[in-house]
Amino acid sequence: MVLVLALGDLHIPHRAPDLPAKFKSMLVPGKIQHIICTGNLCIKEVHDYLKSLCPDLHITRGEHDEDARYPETKTLTIGQFKLGLCHGHQVVPWGDLDSLAMLQRQLDVDILVTGHTHQFKAYKHEGGVVINPGSATGAYSSITYDVNPSFVLMDIDGLRVVVYVYELIDGEVKVDKIDFKKTATMHG
Amino acid sequence: MAEEDRQRRWRRRRFANLRSVRWRIDLGILPASPGASVDELRRAAADSRRRYVSLRRRLMVDPHLPKEEDRSSNLVVDNPLSQNPDSSWGRFFRGAELEKTVDQDLSRLYPEDGSYFQTPSCQAMLRRILLMWCLQHPECGYRQGMHELLAPLVYVLQVDIDKLSQVRKLHEDCFNDDFDGVAFPDTDMLFSYKPRKDSNWHSRADNGDDSESASRVNTLDELDLDTKEIISLSDAYGAEGELGIVLSERFMEHDAYSMFDGLMDGGSGVVCMAEFFSTSKVGSSSSLAPVIEASASLFHLLSIVEPSLHSHFIELDVEPQYFALRWLRVLFGREFCLDDLLVVWDEVFACSNDMLLRENEECNFKILCSSRGAFIAAMAVSMILHLRSSLLATEINTLCLQRLLNFPNNVDVHKLIEKAKSLQSTAIDANTLSPSLLSKKDSCDYDRVYSNLATSTPPRTPLHPLAESYWEEQWRNLHNDGTALKESDNKGLSYKRSLKQSLSQRLGLSRTESDPSPVKVVSVNNDARNSVRRCLLNSYSDKVVQSNEVIGKFEQDKFPIVSIHKETILSSERSSQLKLKAASENLTVSPPPSVAKFNPLIDSPVKPADESSAKRTEDCSSGENSPVFYTARAGNEHENCHDNDSEKSSITSNSCAGDDYRDEVLPDESSSCNCEDKTVSEAIESGANVGQTRPLEKTMVPNERKPFINKLQWLLRFGRPSAEGNVVEKGSGQASSDGKHDAVPPCPSPADASSDNSCSGINLAYGDNKKVMGTLKNIGQNMLENIQVIETAFQQDRAQPSAMENLSNNILGGKGQVTAMAALTELRKISNLLREM
Repeated sequence: MVLVLALGDLHIPHRAPDLPAKFKSMLVPGKIQHIICTGNLCIKEVHDYLKSLCPDLHITRGEHDEDARYPETKTLTIGQFKLGLCHGHQVVPWGDLDSLAMLQRQLDVDILVTGHTHQFKAYKHEGGVVINPGSATGAYSSITYDVNPSFVLMDIDGLRVVVYVYELIDGEVKVDKIDFKKTATMHG
Repeated sequence: MAEEDRQRRWRRRRFANLRSVRWRIDLGILPASPGASVDELRRAAADSRRRYVSLRRRLMVDPHLPKEEDRSSNLVVDNPLSQNPDSSWGRFFRGAELEKTVDQDLSRLYPEDGSYFQTPSCQAMLRRILLMWCLQHPECGYRQGMHELLAPLVYVLQVDIDKLSQVRKLHEDCFNDDFDGVAFPDTDMLFSYKPRKDSNWHSRADNGDDSESASRVNTLDELDLDTKEIISLSDAYGAEGELGIVLSERFMEHDAYSMFDGLMDGGSGVVCMAEFFSTSKVGSSSSLAPVIEASASLFHLLSIVEPSLHSHFIELDVEPQYFALRWLRVLFGREFCLDDLLVVWDEVFACSNDMLLRENEECNFKILCSSRGAFIAAMAVSMILHLRSSLLATEINTLCLQRLLNFPNNVDVHKLIEKAKSLQSTAIDANTLSPSLLSKKDSCDYDRVYSNLATSTPPRTPLHPLAESYWEEQWRNLHNDGTALKESDNKGLSYKRSLKQSLSQRLGLSRTESDPSPVKVVSVNNDARNSVRRCLLNSYSDKVVQSNEVIGKFEQDKFPIVSIHKETILSSERSSQLKLKAASENLTVSPPPSVAKFNPLIDSPVKPADESSAKRTEDCSSGENSPVFYTARAGNEHENCHDNDSEKSSITSNSCAGDDYRDEVLPDESSSCNCEDKTVSEAIESGANVGQTRPLEKTMVPNERKPFINKLQWLLRFGRPSAEGNVVEKGSGQASSDGKHDAVPPCPSPADASSDNSCSGINLAYGDNKKVMGTLKNIGQNMLENIQVIETAFQQDRAQPSAMENLSNNILGGKGQVTAMAALTELRKISNLLREM
């Protein structure tokens, strides 16, 4: 059982002051084994905070990140799954399913995690799963109106991944669960 | 007791070679009645296994398994990042943390016997059992040492299962016999039955006569009973089916948990191993930790059996819980190797854990209320007695504890067990001794235990050297302080010596001061402090110069001889010379302020002062020449006194100081009187000086004014022509006319009045020339007389300052002013008369 935290588009301090307090109270060190971040951390302090939650931190570069060392895309293998990571501002049109599917095939991954739209999305495609954790701080976006802060926690166990979606709506944390199973057809 | 003995014998006879079965009976998992049948044993085993399965199903949390409850409400509370401790994920994470702790201990379990306990399957089984028990008993939780209680139980089960497998290999025919006895109508079962027959046939054919003879021998031997028991206990088709197999590898985990739980809970008996891991018991009245109470019972039993060793422990401050804590918690698990430990535990579990005493009887130690507890205490005392000689030889409690905690490896366990059995009855009897004796001994033991718990102070012995060093440092510090005080005293003495030197120098001056005349005394003591300081400075500075002059005189005089009589004469001359010197120095002090005073004002008074000072300086120079030799000698004597003072002891120095104080009193008084006289004389002189300055200033002004007035008058009277005289007369006439005009009231107009005034003035001048001339002469005479009066007044003022004092001068000045004012008033009258005319 491996817990993977996926979040991004924090935009601290330009568009949002900090993570929501309820999210911060839930994110405690010692539970999460990996963190993948789509980008737009913007400052080093946020990077250090995420590093304190979990030392295994994977980040891709957003269009507002100060640190130029972050890569555009990143792939990593956790258990039986290959995960791909990209901010998404490079994929035009933004948030388009076909374009994202094209990127997934290009990276040859089972799960593609992307962002930029500040809106949670999780859908199964022919060859895999595309997940958008949304904006963890609920920062403003020109694409999405009334952004709700949200992030994703993936529970990878063997050939099964359970996606927990944490969303802050009207000051309360809502949790949803989506199950995905890896099939032999994915390899083909 | 007799019944118990019978039961034990029966048990040993029945399951002598199956330790796991025997231990389960002793721990209360399997029925202990002698009449229990195999079926009853199987049912009890099956029940205990079912309980374990239900417990594991309840406690082992797998958050991945889906639930039928409402999804949304459940997810908010039950998710991986939930803060709720009661959620399944919360329990999962707590279990994960506990698992880490247990794994650390299991990795270090019996490293020398790594062949079995370090295998992954055994580690996993041990971990699960400990986790289940700890989650079932959260008030106790996991404590280090529990894994060492569980390991022998698992080991015993494994050994018996290995025996079963061996028996199964050797006596496969017997198992088949059971199957032959049962009829199976189905064709499938017949098919399975046939291959077994074939296998049997093959074995027989291969072995031949030897196999037949071996089987016959087995059936006939005594082992046949044990074999039959094993076969009956392991029959898969007996009571409870496969779950009822008493020796089953599949259910080894279940059986181990049952045994461990029975050992920890004590089966509602007296000895409860879990209590040894808890720090306090709620229900107990003594509020002592059970393990500490049990430790105290060891010392109690030891004091009865071996008083000398007991007193030795008390002298060394060896408390029983220092070593007994480990012995009791792991039940001697670390003191013996595994095989010997199993023998010890055989005896421990063979003893009954039931309460021996009735409710009426009082017990002093709970552990001694059962045979098992008494045996455990007796076993501990037996181990202590085994080390008796080496323990008595130790002199430090740390060495004593090392001997106890590092029990020797190669020990005959059976001897220790026999000794323990003999002590067991003594322990049980000790628990029910007479109240008076017990109260005394128990009070002693409990007092020590309470004192240790209350004060929680470490043993005294390790602190002893530290205490000595501490007090030694304190003593050294005090000693250093004393030396510092002495040094300060020495400094004080040196200061006093320096004071003596200065005072002795003063003494010379003061003694000389008493002899001279009062005038000189006044001059000498004019400025006592300043004079003394300057004398000291001059004396020091002059020493160098005088020494050179002395050398010159020695050359001139050609080394004159000095006798005692001459010394006395020289001393008297020295005193006179010192007087002159002091007088000269004091006189030199007085001129500067007077010179400063006179110089800016008037030169004439300064001259006599300078002349007097010059004369005095000449006297000084003459005086200085003669006493050079004597002052040098005096300096030498002062140095000698200094040496003598240094050589003297503190007492004599104090006496010398006293002498100095006595001498100081006289010169202070004389100096104060002289100072007063001097100040008076100075005041008089300063007054005279002031008087001299003031009259001079006053005389300057009138002298300048007088000739000016006289010249004007003479010029007006005689030097000028008559026309000027007429002009004067006309002026006076105008003044008089103005007066008349003011007096006359009936003037018609201002223009007319002015013309009238001028005509009247002219008329007066021509008509009365003779009369006017006469009156003018009289007026002139009066004016001259008044002027003479003023001149006489000023002349008197000029004559006075040479002899009069300040007050008289002031009075005379006032009188002069009065006369002058009178003269001026008369002159004004004359001027008024002239205006009238």
